[in-house]
Amino acid sequence: MKPIITFARWGNYTIAFKTLFDQLGLEVIPPEPTNSANIAEGVKISPEMYCFPLKVTLGNVIPSLRKGANTVFMVQNIGGSCRQRYYGAVQKKVLEEAGHHINFLDFRATPKDVYSTIKKISGASTWQILKAARFFFKKLRLIEKIEKMAQFYRPREIEKGTTDRILTESFSEIEKVNKEKDFSKIKKEILKKFSEIKIGKNKKLPKVALIGEIYTVCDPAINFDLEQKLGREDIEVHREMDITYHLKKLIFPWKDWIIQRKINPYLRSTVGGHGRDAIYEMLNYVKKDFDGIIHLLPFGCMPEVTVRPILQKIHLESGIPFLSLSLDEQVAEAGINTRLEAFVDVVRNYYQSKKL
Amino acid sequence: MTIGIPQALIYWKRPYFWEIFFKNLGLEVFLSPPTNKEIVEMGVKVSDPETCFSQKVYWGHLLWLDGKVDLIFVPRLKTNEEKLEYCPKFFGLPDLAKILVKSPILTETFDERKEKFEKTLRRLGKKLNKNRREVEEAAKSAFLKEKDYYPPFTLQSQPTHPKKELKKKIVLVSHPYNLYDDYVNLGIKEKLEKLGAQPIFIDKVPISGNQRNNQRNNQRKSADIPKFHWEFGKEIMEKIDTILNYDLAGAIEISSFQCGCDAVIKEFVEKKFKQNKIPFLYLIIDEQSGEAGIQTRLEAFMDTI
Repeated sequence: MKPIITFARWGNYTIAFKTLFDQLGLEVIPPEPTNSANIAEGVKISPEMYCFPLKVTLGNVIPSLRKGANTVFMVQNIGGSCRQRYYGAVQKKVLEEAGHHINFLDFRATPKDVYSTIKKISGASTWQILKAARFFFKKLRLIEKIEKMAQFYRPREIEKGTTDRILTESFSEIEKVNKEKDFSKIKKEILKKFSEIKIGKNKKLPKVALIGEIYTVCDPAINFDLEQKLGREDIEVHREMDITYHLKKLIFPWKDWIIQRKINPYLRSTVGGHGRDAIYEMLNYVKKDFDGIIHLLPFGCMPEVTVRPILQKIHLESGIPFLSLSLDEQVAEAGINTRLEAFVDVVRNYYQSKKL
Repeated sequence: MTIGIPQALIYWKRPYFWEIFFKNLGLEVFLSPPTNKEIVEMGVKVSDPETCFSQKVYWGHLLWLDGKVDLIFVPRLKTNEEKLEYCPKFFGLPDLAKILVKSPILTETFDERKEKFEKTLRRLGKKLNKNRREVEEAAKSAFLKEKDYYPPFTLQSQPTHPKKELKKKIVLVSHPYNLYDDYVNLGIKEKLEKLGAQPIFIDKVPISGNQRNNQRNNQRKSADIPKFHWEFGKEIMEKIDTILNYDLAGAIEISSFQCGCDAVIKEFVEKKFKQNKIPFLYLIIDEQSGEAGIQTRLEAFMDTI
């Protein structure tokens, strides 16, 4: 049986993952974009008490399975001791119960395991895999870079909406490139487009940071375009959490040691997932004199729920505006908008009061 | 000096050991009372709304002890002797406890991947100004006395009266802090007994050494059930395999609302019982669950089996 691959969607990075499989000569059916219909489909068959990302990723995969995909990729063990470790096992079980007969590739997030899984499924040579991986990283870096640039340009642009238009165009262009040699040209064009955005003179703006669980923070479809919404309110958004950050932590363990040393007064142990990172980032942003922190988590996420009282303590100590948003299939965009509006007012007040 | 131990959550992992250990060290031990309405309400008020019910109860106990004792003992349980992890919510308990209460917290990290249990105890003793010999002796007698509290597992296979019908055996699958806390589980044991069943607690079921080896082989063969890195996950799975030989009438899993680990384990527990055609009931308990609701569901369940 020829493997036809599908995988879970993860924000804008999905493009890079698709390229990785394409370059290896595998047939890919990309996952459907996340929308309420897909989420509902995932929720229908997944365990009720499980965390939200499992339901969403399941919802992404099911339509592609219907289109003929027969192999699902799922990474295991992204964050230490949390439920993410059992995503593969549980998704395989519920998909089988729902009548899908599929080959489920569940691998650990270590470079060695990733390599051996890819090698097994594609039969590509080591050279080919390395080449594909290089292209994957190039795309990933560019995506992350333009995301960061968009965060900078959005509040400053004179003609509102330009940045978002360019961002969407760039993503589709990046998706189209399938030869590595064309890539540098495209990259130059995209960066040029960004630099041509006309920006206002006002350089100092209130800054808000997004912290929390990596999946909800990175995927604009899950967090209701939070970055865009804040950007339109003339607020500069920062976020440290992305795939590169996570991969760096996987490969270089000392990052974790540094984080642990920094947060020792608050938490003296790992709590699984990115629990420690949230505290570390918050302390960091407080030090950098930010004007607000938004904490995002899927409803009932074990590590983030454990650290939330600590984040609230930091918030009370430093006085920085803090908003914690739990996201799941029940959350409506209108509710988020209302809370965000109130939060933006608080942030502006805080920013003004600092100036005086 | 009095030391307070909240009688909830991690207390039930080793109910007698800590009490005896601290008494042997010459400290006065003060347990919080069994869970009651007041304690639950106190806990629910202060805790994060999304954390699990069991943890909310724990905070209630902690607040009850606050101010009444010199020290509160909140260990950080990370891994057990099999090098399997405890629930990740236990990792942060002492840090969160420090935010909540004013009484000083006595804590030590029990991570058997890094050091033996006895060695950690010695470090704990040092914090209480006890020397090595005192701690070792206290631990030794605590280990011995702890064993007396656990009666060997027996199952009535023959009815005592020949005319009396054999009681239906129902296994209760859950964590010890849900099984033994009668307020939290709404007296499910009593209710089942009244309905004419014989409830069996999953944690009392033994795992024979022979079977354990088989288990490992089986687990390797069947890829359906993942190898759990949680101590309770592995334990529950193995014990279910034992209990399946005892001709069960039904199985009930109790989990506290928002328990993350149970969301994973439930899937596989349910699958196992369904494969063996044993009726399965899943009950979620939280601060709002009422006696009447549970009673109705249990009665309905008893009627089906």
